[in-house]
Amino acid sequence: MSRPSAAARRSTTSPPGSNDGDVLYAKHKKVYPRGIDGRFSRLRLLGMTVLLGLFYSVAWLSWDGRQAVLLDLPARKFYIFGLTFWPQDFFFFAWLLVIAALSLFFFTALAGRLWCGYACPQTVWTELFLWIERKVEGSRNQQIKRDKAGWTAEKVRVKTVKHALWIALSLFTGFTFVGYFTPIRELSVSLTQLSLGPWETFWVLFYGFATYGNAGWLREQVCIYMCPYARFQSAMFDQDTLVISYDAERGEPRGPRKRGVDPAGLGLGDCVDCTLCVQVCPTGIDIRDGLQYQCIGCAACIDACDEVMDKMGYPRGLIRYTTENAMAGLKTRLLRPRIIMYMVVLTALTAGLVWGISQRVPLELDIIRDRNVLYRETSEGLVENVYTLKLINMDDHPHPFALQVDGLEGLKLKLESPLIEVPAGEVRSLPVSVRVDPVVLTRPSTTISFTLRAVDKPDLSRTETARFLGPVTR
Amino acid sequence: MSNIPLIQRVVSVFWPSFLTSGAATGGFFTLFDPLDLLHIAGLPDISRMGVYTIGFFLFWSLTATTCALTCYFQRPCHRNNGDVTRA
Repeated sequence: MSRPSAAARRSTTSPPGSNDGDVLYAKHKKVYPRGIDGRFSRLRLLGMTVLLGLFYSVAWLSWDGRQAVLLDLPARKFYIFGLTFWPQDFFFFAWLLVIAALSLFFFTALAGRLWCGYACPQTVWTELFLWIERKVEGSRNQQIKRDKAGWTAEKVRVKTVKHALWIALSLFTGFTFVGYFTPIRELSVSLTQLSLGPWETFWVLFYGFATYGNAGWLREQVCIYMCPYARFQSAMFDQDTLVISYDAERGEPRGPRKRGVDPAGLGLGDCVDCTLCVQVCPTGIDIRDGLQYQCIGCAACIDACDEVMDKMGYPRGLIRYTTENAMAGLKTRLLRPRIIMYMVVLTALTAGLVWGISQRVPLELDIIRDRNVLYRETSEGLVENVYTLKLINMDDHPHPFALQVDGLEGLKLKLESPLIEVPAGEVRSLPVSVRVDPVVLTRPSTTISFTLRAVDKPDLSRTETARFLGPVTR
Repeated sequence: MSNIPLIQRVVSVFWPSFLTSGAATGGFFTLFDPLDLLHIAGLPDISRMGVYTIGFFLFWSLTATTCALTCYFQRPCHRNNGDVTRA
């Protein structure tokens, strides 16, 4: 297999803390990422703001008098703007997941771990928590110093404030999350009246705890130990994938020097070994050791290094977004077979999903045979079968429906009333009996079909089959 | 085994099981309405959210047990009793 050497290099570095045996949090070496400003940090901040803003606000949007995005688990209906999905539409959800997975593969092949660095909830909330930590506890150095020192009143105060803010934010996050599954306005009303249901309370606390634990405590360990994607993403990489890389040829041998001194004269490369790239790394790795699977592609080290290069008067890009081919002085190919394949498959799947959803008939018909009696002979000498019909009108309007049965000559349908009214979004169970003269029966079991059609909207119809049982007289 | 951090061992039991039980809960309750299940089983009324929650934790306990057993059976076997140092 001609897997790039980067994949091999990636797996050689052991995760931080793996050498010291049994480490949980106590012995785990805490990573104190240093705050950084720069092109990519600003891009990341923008992405974070948009994503968090969407998460916290979309739950409050209304559409047609109801919550715009509501995966209403208690009512077993998913509302997404103008669309309503029922459990019967689960197929579309699975399809969407396939599209999401393929998109992830596509972007990984194209630009590496874009998802991890900019969009993953773990990254986004960790950044938010880090921001709070920096606001309360101060810079990286202040934090390290305080954590090393003994407990003082000031330390207790600072830690309490930080955790209180974290917990408040976590609870609000948990509340918003639950608000996507039960109507958030009702939820907020019951919260203010302190009458939140026990299950809702449980999930607010559960999700709040998960946020607090993952973004406050576990952080990069989630990426290293828990994320399945982090383990297999390297399989999607090739020599043309955009990765964050240290230009060792230009940087080495690394070493400190005074500003304005010609490094070549000292026998040095461009790396001044300031270790800022290590200090800003949220997963605590040294990018100069090569591409590692702990690297989430956040580009903080690029910003840090560019700043130093500017100060030294060296060109930027000692650490930069590049590809393996570019590093080797070759041309980077953007359109390559795997990229084209992903694009074709993704386009086809997305088009299929849109088409499938647009062709949905918002009507469901289930036919359940009466289990107790196979068939019955009536006093007129007809054979009767009894069924229970389950009608679901998944449309947003009520409709009167007409039922028709076919499959045998002279089938007679017995209904309570000729038209069946089903309100919007309602389920109706209906007992139905079907009779036929036994002379037409040629088999003990015949397939018949029921057709349900909205009288005021003829294209809203559904046909389902059932078995008709009876004695064969001929 | 001792060179695997404790956190990784804890994660390998509770995390994959969390993911699969989430998927199982979603699939199961898409097919079966909790209210129908309660009715068939003759159980007292619990809200759908309640049944989802209980279902999720039942699935999780099952899948976590499986993960724990997998980890347990992955420990090296002792060919000669006492000959091999414990992992």
